[in-house]
Amino acid sequence: MADITVTINGNQITGHAGITILELAKENSIDIPTLCYCPDLPPMGACRLCVVEVAGSKALVGSCHTPISQGMVIQTHSPKVMATRKIIIELLLASHSGFCTVCDKSNICELRKLAMDMDIGLSRFQSKKRYFPIEDISPYITRDLSKCVLCRRCLQICNEVAKKRVFGIGYRGFNSKVIVDLDQPIDKEVCRDCGLCITSCPTGALSNPAQIGEEKKGTPLVIRG
Amino acid sequence: MPEKHIVLRNCGVINPEDLTSYTARGGFQALKKALSIGPEQIIKEIKESGLRGRGGAGFPCGLKWEFTRNTKEQSKYLICNADEGEVGTFKDHFILENDPFSLIEGIAIASYAIGVKKSYIYLRGEYHNLSGRLQNAINQAKENKFLTHVNIEIREGAGAYVCGEESALMDSIEGKRGEARFKPPFPTDKGLWQKPTVINNVETLMNIPQIILNGAAWFNQIGTERSKGTKVFSVSGDVACPGVYELILGSSLKELLINISQSDNIKVVQIGGATGRLVPGTAIDTPLSFESVLGAGSITVFNETRNIMDIVYHTMEFLAEESCGKCTPCREGTEVMKLIIDKFRCGNGTQHDMQLLTELSSAMSLASLCGLGQAAPNVITDSMQYFRDVYESLIPANLRGVKA
Ligand SMILES: Cc1cc2nc3c(=O)[nH]c(=O)nc-3n(C[C@H](O)[C@H](O)[C@H](O)COP(=O)(O)O)c2cc1C
Ligand code: SF4
Ligand code: FES
Repeated sequence: MADITVTINGNQITGHAGITILELAKENSIDIPTLCYCPDLPPMGACRLCVVEVAGSKALVGSCHTPISQGMVIQTHSPKVMATRKIIIELLLASHSGFCTVCDKSNICELRKLAMDMDIGLSRFQSKKRYFPIEDISPYITRDLSKCVLCRRCLQICNEVAKKRVFGIGYRGFNSKVIVDLDQPIDKEVCRDCGLCITSCPTGALSNPAQIGEEKKGTPLVIRG
Repeated sequence: MPEKHIVLRNCGVINPEDLTSYTARGGFQALKKALSIGPEQIIKEIKESGLRGRGGAGFPCGLKWEFTRNTKEQSKYLICNADEGEVGTFKDHFILENDPFSLIEGIAIASYAIGVKKSYIYLRGEYHNLSGRLQNAINQAKENKFLTHVNIEIREGAGAYVCGEESALMDSIEGKRGEARFKPPFPTDKGLWQKPTVINNVETLMNIPQIILNGAAWFNQIGTERSKGTKVFSVSGDVACPGVYELILGSSLKELLINISQSDNIKVVQIGGATGRLVPGTAIDTPLSFESVLGAGSITVFNETRNIMDIVYHTMEFLAEESCGKCTPCREGTEVMKLIIDKFRCGNGTQHDMQLLTELSSAMSLASLCGLGQAAPNVITDSMQYFRDVYESLIPANLRGVKA
């Protein structure tokens, strides 16, 4: 396929027709933060963290799902983009009931890492907190949906890779929730132990049962604010 | 006179259950003419007429048709958007109730022009009472051999506001949860079942037969430079004569509210429903057109006895309830906005909150996935612009002027 030349942050960059802005940025070591994006799977465009500024478009554009087109002029880190991304993370933190200090995943939590990268401490917003009972009856997976940020990566990976279609979305608006069946706690009848969703989850919402502590790997992240 | 009946010309005149009363008023003559002039000529007429979508966004109708007609795909769809979920709109209900035949004729012409063999009417779930009458109109048109080229099916929604948004609507027809899709690809490219799809509002399609009959030049001379034709308005709230009125585009708000529906002491008017704009009573000369304010044509009037913060709060409450929940800015943002407005409502606002509202509004309109989240902050930004003193009066005295 023909190549396409675009301008990213003032530099002319060429990529294959059909790839997205995010893919082109990755190829050229430009770091655009993402949350709902799963490499190699169809994009969902849900979290809106990957937005960039494209000349001629009034609203910001989701880079994970927008293909490049000839002559596009893109800003990946303009003040407008940065302010917007920061607010998205702050909004997620505002309703996140996580107590990072006692969370098993705090060292490898992507939400925490994104917040740290953007120099966000405590959220300036106050919102309702999501509270759900922990689902720990399955021998293969424990779900603590109070920590879920609704990125839908578990859904995507279960549908597209494992092809099990265990999860769905229930309710709407702020009350949206990743549900199993008609919002039953997940058990071993519906889900076997492939564990793909657990590795895909950016926060502590999904975990392996009874492995508390074993996941604490990597350098600790600093909690600011 | 700013009132002119193009869309509503048959309402109250014909018997909506009987096709012969419609044909007696020239019904299906436009279809006959359309079939004789051919698809290219129809699309040319519609393009030249300057007809823009009446569902809120105002996209040029002819262009949409042309895009879809020119795709190489064999199967294409036409959807008539009769979801009418916008707060304070009831014009489509009025139209469907009184003149279902014009809509069927409009769909028949559009389907022929675009090359569509299957059309859907997506009917709002709450309008279940109309589905019998609509089906009857389709059946009668079929019996009289007016629908030999297209199959029209009615699909009923399940009561979600966001399913009026075109991509969520298509998900809903496909049998999925109604959630917005990212764009591009646009529906004209990959719409229903990933096939090229045209989605038009009821009122848009109602204009088609008259344009075909009377010609683009006739339609083109009505209205303003960039808003051609008429618009059907649903007027409700603090007015003496609420109801459905059809006015030439570009008529002023004053004309509609003072002369026709007779309201006084107007504090603020909400135009275009929950995602629409606020216009203060002092700006009563505002013209109603795509250049100015329009939306889906719902006009809700609030008089001096109403509390601004209540209006803003209830609008936000509605949007938070109806957000589909897919994208972060809208799902989380509407909830946060609702809580902040509630603080002001209780007299507990702060300067910091006003700053947060401004920043959040900008982020939501820039980054939300669909029109709901993008337009949700309108009511906040407009009320902060026109009623800043109200917000400031709701900050406790000891905190005024204090930056957090
Ligand atoms: C949240 C939301 C709700 C909408 N609701 C409706 C609706 O109830 N009826 C409608 O015709 N269009 C609605 N729209 C606009 C449609 O997305 C679409 O623009 C329209 O149906 C296109 O038809 P038109 O070109 O004839 O206006 C809505 C849009 C949004 C963002
Ligand atoms: S803006 Fe709101 S309604 Fe639209 S996709 Fe996002 S969450 Fe759903
Ligand atoms: S990563 Fe693009 S929207 Fe989530």
